[in-house]
Amino acid sequence: MSTEVSSNSAPPGGPRRNRGAAGWIWVLLLSLSGIAQGAPDFARDVRPILERSCYGCHGPEKQKSGYRLDQREVALKGGDSGKRAIVPHSANQSPLVRYVSGADPDQQMPPEKSDAPPLTPEEVATLRAWIDAGPSWPDEWAGTSPETNPPWSLQPLRKPAVPGLSSHPIDGFIRASLSARSLTPSPEADRRTLIRRVTYDLTGLPPTPEEVEAFVASSDPNAYEFLVDRLLASPRYGEHWARHWLDVAHYADTHGNDHDHARPNAWPYRDYVIRAFNEDRPYARFVQEQVAGDALFPEDPQATVALGFLAAGPWDDTLMVGVREDTFDHRLAQVLDRDDLVTTAMSTFQSLTVHCARCHNHKFDPISQREYYASQAVFAGVDRADRPFDSDPSTHVRRRELLTRKTALERRDASSNAILTAPETVQKVAALTESAARRAAQWEPLDIVSVTSASGADTTFTRQTDGSWRVSGALPDKDTFIITAQTRRTDLRALRLEALPDDSLPGRGPGRYHPTGNFHLTEFRGEPQPTGHETHGATRLEFTRATADHSDRGDVVAQAIDGRPETFWSIHPHYGMPHEAVFELKHPVGYESGTTLILRLEQAGTAAHQLGRFRLTFCTGALPEDQRAPLPARVSQLLGKAESERTQEEQRELAVQVLLAEIERDLAALPPPEKVYAITRDFPPNGSFKPAATPRPIHLLTRGDLNQPAELVGPGTLSCVPGLSGDLAIADEGEESNRRAALARWLTDERNALTWRSVVNRVWHYHFGRGLCDTPNDFGKMGGSPSHPELLDWLAVWFRDDAAGSLKALHRLIVTSATYRQSSSHRSDAAEVDADNRLLWRMNRVRLTAEQIRDSVLQLSGQLDLTQGGPAVVQFVHRGKATFVPDGGAPAFLDYENFAPDAPENRRRAIYRFVFRTVPDPLMDALDAPDGGTLTPVRSVSTTAVQAFALLNNPFVIRQCEHLAANLTGLDLTPSEQITAAFRRMLQRPPRPEELARFTAYAQQHGLANTCQVLLNSNEFLHLD
Amino acid sequence: MSPSLTRRDFLGRLSTGLGGIALSSLFQGETVAAPPPVYRPKAKRVIQLFLNGGASQCDLFDYKPQLIARHGKPFDPGTGERVEASISTPGAVMKSPFEWAQHGQCGRWVSSALPHLAKQVDHLAFLMAMQSKSNVHGPAAYLQTSGFLLPGFPCAGAWVSYALGSLSDNVPAFVVLPDSRGLPYNGRSAFTSGFLPANHQGTVINASAPRPITHLLPPADAKHITPASRADGLALLREMNLGHAAERPGDSQLTARLESYELAARLQLSAPELLDVTGETEATKRLYGLDQAETADFGKRCLLARRMAERGVRFVQVWSGQGGGSDNWDNHTDIAKELGVAARRMDQPAAALLLDLKARGLLEDTLLVWTTEFGRMPFSQGSVGRDHNGGTFVSWFAGAGVKPGIAHGQSDEWSWKAVEGVTTSYDFHATLLHLLGLNHEKLSWRHSGIDRRLTDVHGQVIREILA
Repeated sequence: MSTEVSSNSAPPGGPRRNRGAAGWIWVLLLSLSGIAQGAPDFARDVRPILERSCYGCHGPEKQKSGYRLDQREVALKGGDSGKRAIVPHSANQSPLVRYVSGADPDQQMPPEKSDAPPLTPEEVATLRAWIDAGPSWPDEWAGTSPETNPPWSLQPLRKPAVPGLSSHPIDGFIRASLSARSLTPSPEADRRTLIRRVTYDLTGLPPTPEEVEAFVASSDPNAYEFLVDRLLASPRYGEHWARHWLDVAHYADTHGNDHDHARPNAWPYRDYVIRAFNEDRPYARFVQEQVAGDALFPEDPQATVALGFLAAGPWDDTLMVGVREDTFDHRLAQVLDRDDLVTTAMSTFQSLTVHCARCHNHKFDPISQREYYASQAVFAGVDRADRPFDSDPSTHVRRRELLTRKTALERRDASSNAILTAPETVQKVAALTESAARRAAQWEPLDIVSVTSASGADTTFTRQTDGSWRVSGALPDKDTFIITAQTRRTDLRALRLEALPDDSLPGRGPGRYHPTGNFHLTEFRGEPQPTGHETHGATRLEFTRATADHSDRGDVVAQAIDGRPETFWSIHPHYGMPHEAVFELKHPVGYESGTTLILRLEQAGTAAHQLGRFRLTFCTGALPEDQRAPLPARVSQLLGKAESERTQEEQRELAVQVLLAEIERDLAALPPPEKVYAITRDFPPNGSFKPAATPRPIHLLTRGDLNQPAELVGPGTLSCVPGLSGDLAIADEGEESNRRAALARWLTDERNALTWRSVVNRVWHYHFGRGLCDTPNDFGKMGGSPSHPELLDWLAVWFRDDAAGSLKALHRLIVTSATYRQSSSHRSDAAEVDADNRLLWRMNRVRLTAEQIRDSVLQLSGQLDLTQGGPAVVQFVHRGKATFVPDGGAPAFLDYENFAPDAPENRRRAIYRFVFRTVPDPLMDALDAPDGGTLTPVRSVSTTAVQAFALLNNPFVIRQCEHLAANLTGLDLTPSEQITAAFRRMLQRPPRPEELARFTAYAQQHGLANTCQVLLNSNEFLHLD
Repeated sequence: MSPSLTRRDFLGRLSTGLGGIALSSLFQGETVAAPPPVYRPKAKRVIQLFLNGGASQCDLFDYKPQLIARHGKPFDPGTGERVEASISTPGAVMKSPFEWAQHGQCGRWVSSALPHLAKQVDHLAFLMAMQSKSNVHGPAAYLQTSGFLLPGFPCAGAWVSYALGSLSDNVPAFVVLPDSRGLPYNGRSAFTSGFLPANHQGTVINASAPRPITHLLPPADAKHITPASRADGLALLREMNLGHAAERPGDSQLTARLESYELAARLQLSAPELLDVTGETEATKRLYGLDQAETADFGKRCLLARRMAERGVRFVQVWSGQGGGSDNWDNHTDIAKELGVAARRMDQPAAALLLDLKARGLLEDTLLVWTTEFGRMPFSQGSVGRDHNGGTFVSWFAGAGVKPGIAHGQSDEWSWKAVEGVTTSYDFHATLLHLLGLNHEKLSWRHSGIDRRLTDVHGQVIREILA
């Protein structure tokens, strides 16, 4: 008996098969219909009891007394005692029943002290009935050891002979299994149905009426093959099939989680996928690029862009960046982040649930916990961040070289030691020392007469011995410090503000209010006036440039002189250390008679972000270009020491800084790089989020618990794939990309049966609405069994060898089969044998996807903008910078419904939409578009009132129907001709006479726009026969 | 009935009105088939108040004299455990800026921040020692809404919708009323159906927006759409779909869509009445604080929750507080100021909801729960704020099947960590499902190779708070 979901559009899982909810309904059905309960089913009724109450001590992990109940042989034979625990046909004589029923208090199982729940009387009765009736223990549940009982997918790949005499191999296999059940295939669908089906399937769009008529009228015997070739050559093909791949990769344009910040550089990966499909990248190469393109194809910029695949899923920036590094939460987030990489890679390319082995060995498939952590170790050197790349290959190579040197220096690799002590480097350090001395000397203290707070007298300012000012007293939400200073110098060229740490400040400052120690300088203003002749407001200081030793990414120091009160300078996340900003003046400042400067430090942007300690200095005379920007704090500190007093290590550290500055200069001279959000080991540290200099050590975590680390585990992979070792044999594991490169090669090894079975099944799934195996991400024992295992294997080998991994060749093979081309019509004779159509005696009827519906509406209305690629298109009204600036603080606000339906952005294909993980577009959401929260190998197809509402009332849908109506009205047609044209465009057929009459009458009464919307809501439009 | 019909098909059909069997009969069948004590539902529906941001237990319900005695002194729990805070350096011990007093017959301590709820303590069952696995909003909020630290899992309302459906054909099973200021942390993922079918997702009602339900009505500027064009259009659509389905027998998808338009029409008719509170008495409006600026928003949403409970919504979730840095319970900077405001907005309406449900006899079969994602630290952050504390926090249950006027569990003498009768999101959800007559270990869905549950692989029904 199969309890699988019967509809062809079922979600991947469905209720637990054979167990749990299904078992529950089964009990219900029996009791409703009054049938007495028969012998319990092992998988459905017995195993869950054993798993819950017994496996803890007698299962995959522990075998107390040498006994285990997860393997049939041991369970029936008995453990170390040599006595049988289960006596066939006799529950009364079976010790197991005695133990679990509590009949013997000394030998009660599970023991009272254990955590496992005891069996209820009903469960004991189930076990009794099961034993008395056999017990029946099916082979597929006989044991979990990989040697004895691997799932179907781990059998070696072989190419079976095509059965029968069919001219098409797919039809050979399908017909063989049909005739084994005395079934026959359905006749070919009519041409209108066929062109509609294949055009949507390959391009996501409907055929035009002209295309339909030409195809219907064509007498060319190869008309269908030509049609397929044309569709596969269209750029629309890549756009449509890339969307399938992005589902699998759980791609979106935001990070997800609590703040859901934007990921403005995710899209180059989306464009990569579209291009890869359109260029028909061989599948092995496609896999390799997405796992280790940077290492395997270093000369190809696109291979780096491909690394966006592993970074496509959600990422918790609060946990990774904002939360303190030493907390449990942060460390757990790192483990879960790697878990997502492992899950994404292995589910996508291997169709195995490797992630199930995080807390224990896989309960059903031969995957050990150790192998799981070995898979984590493959990715132990990378994080997700913006990764620079250059579309221009020569720039790409040059930047790569500079970045490699930079990394070597930062890590102080052995390779960089020689250059640190080379004479030319020593000379450069000396030169820097000298210029730094000049730099220090050029800043003179401002003679400050008074400092006051705009908020009142309760804030006090105390001058410190080093010339800085410490702020204390009242804590207003926002503040402005007003500083009056005097100078007799006449050639002021720049002012410098130092924000200084202090032990008494929260987080050591430099801020005095916010717990982190941050401050926000919204504006730095000043008025120069002749001393003794002050006239308030007469003149203003004008600045040409502001530079700082450090600015937060979105909140740069230039925003302190932009005159906009809503922007500011922030030093997040580098709190508790000194920072400085230099403000260069447009004109030299200073009156002969003496100058009074009134400076305003405005800190009015965000509440609770004021400075706690600061110092102001100025310089006169022209500033050399290289002396303008402040040096990093650490370099300033080192240079503060005389050369003779520096240790050798300090001298080397300076050398590193000098060489890094050179590299930065060279990098700055290159054209600005493009960026892709991808896996990378090189990115600017931000708060707790720091790159790993070398791959992080990975421990096996007992029970998946971070607090129970066991042994260290090196990089490796699964050992269950026939013909392949799980040992990746990596020469230099210290170089993280070697780990990924080794995995990429292992995944694409021609012996890796999983890889080739996985991809052909995925492609099949999208063509037929259901895979040959209906769980495309789970080929394990808990996944589905393939309906046509020989066909799946034949396709896998054919795709790998004959088609050399060409996806277009695979599509062509599938869509030209008679199986694909057959009618979807119901036949009651066949339905009686195979109601579920698992044997494909007809084509499956499928509903259009959200994207197909949205794109069709645009094409039909004549509004579709076919521009390809580029940044994600925002199709909502938004407020708050959190929406588009990483690390912004304001909550995102998105409004889809009030977004102008005619905005040009609305006209792009759906794949170019900005997908906001936690606030999905309500139209797309109602139509089952995934939100990128989790891997989506199969979309659910729901039928809800919310969906009806969306198609009836969504402003975009309504507006496009108006456009379509206007379009038809403009054609100079009679009312009934308009209806005919609408039918032809939307349904690819003319209306029947009675339809024509009804729709014409409706249109005359309520207009063509309403009429088009009725057609749009029709099942005929929304489904593909 | 074919034995291959799954529960999902079964309920899916019911929820689109195709069943032929009433939901209640399915439910009774279940009760008969299952061991009686576990499956007999006490509650027909749930109203959940969720305080977004981490409501400070030690400023609301968890009275600790030690904090007053040691105010301003360095925090040393004396257990040798590492003291960590998620975004700040641990500060000194900080007493609550609010006053404490005992209330009700049960003598429960409540701070002066909650004068209205303080009067209701004899109706509430407190979980005084809840513990989270995370100190961070995103994961902790996911844990308390869906039982998992990561996105992608169905929330409790979606599970309940999947298991039980709606009590009426005219309203959705699961409705969410977000704060008018904005969505909570995790946005709409907080109400997601995850991998469950999309029809179990929370229907979001923005109570104070001009158009409270997305897509309920056509946009106002679509003048060509009139009641008549709609009525005739839906009739024409039905005719066309019937013909189409007749030519394609054996496809339940097609008939289900037909029915979904009829359900939509019924919802459209019932929604305005559901959301219209003008007919409520002035006394009721005052009770919920609709006449005061501070309480009007949460008050209106609590009142709507009651109206939905009356009209058959199975699970209503009412949020207090938006995501982001302000206007919620995430009071890092100034407890007195920030928590004071949040508490005033929530207190009176929440107490009103309880009173009103009771007065109308609805509390007999309605479960009212009050919760948050974690608590706050007993020591200061900055000067007078508090950082996140997953170590202990407070929730309460009230109503159907709940023992009133009791408290289960307690935290240590600091309100730093839960020590006795510790409960987790798993226990919380197991209890919630139990009161609805559902066994949390049986309610599952196969996803990505694992039978997923709201309670993961954990959870114990908290029998101590059951009546």
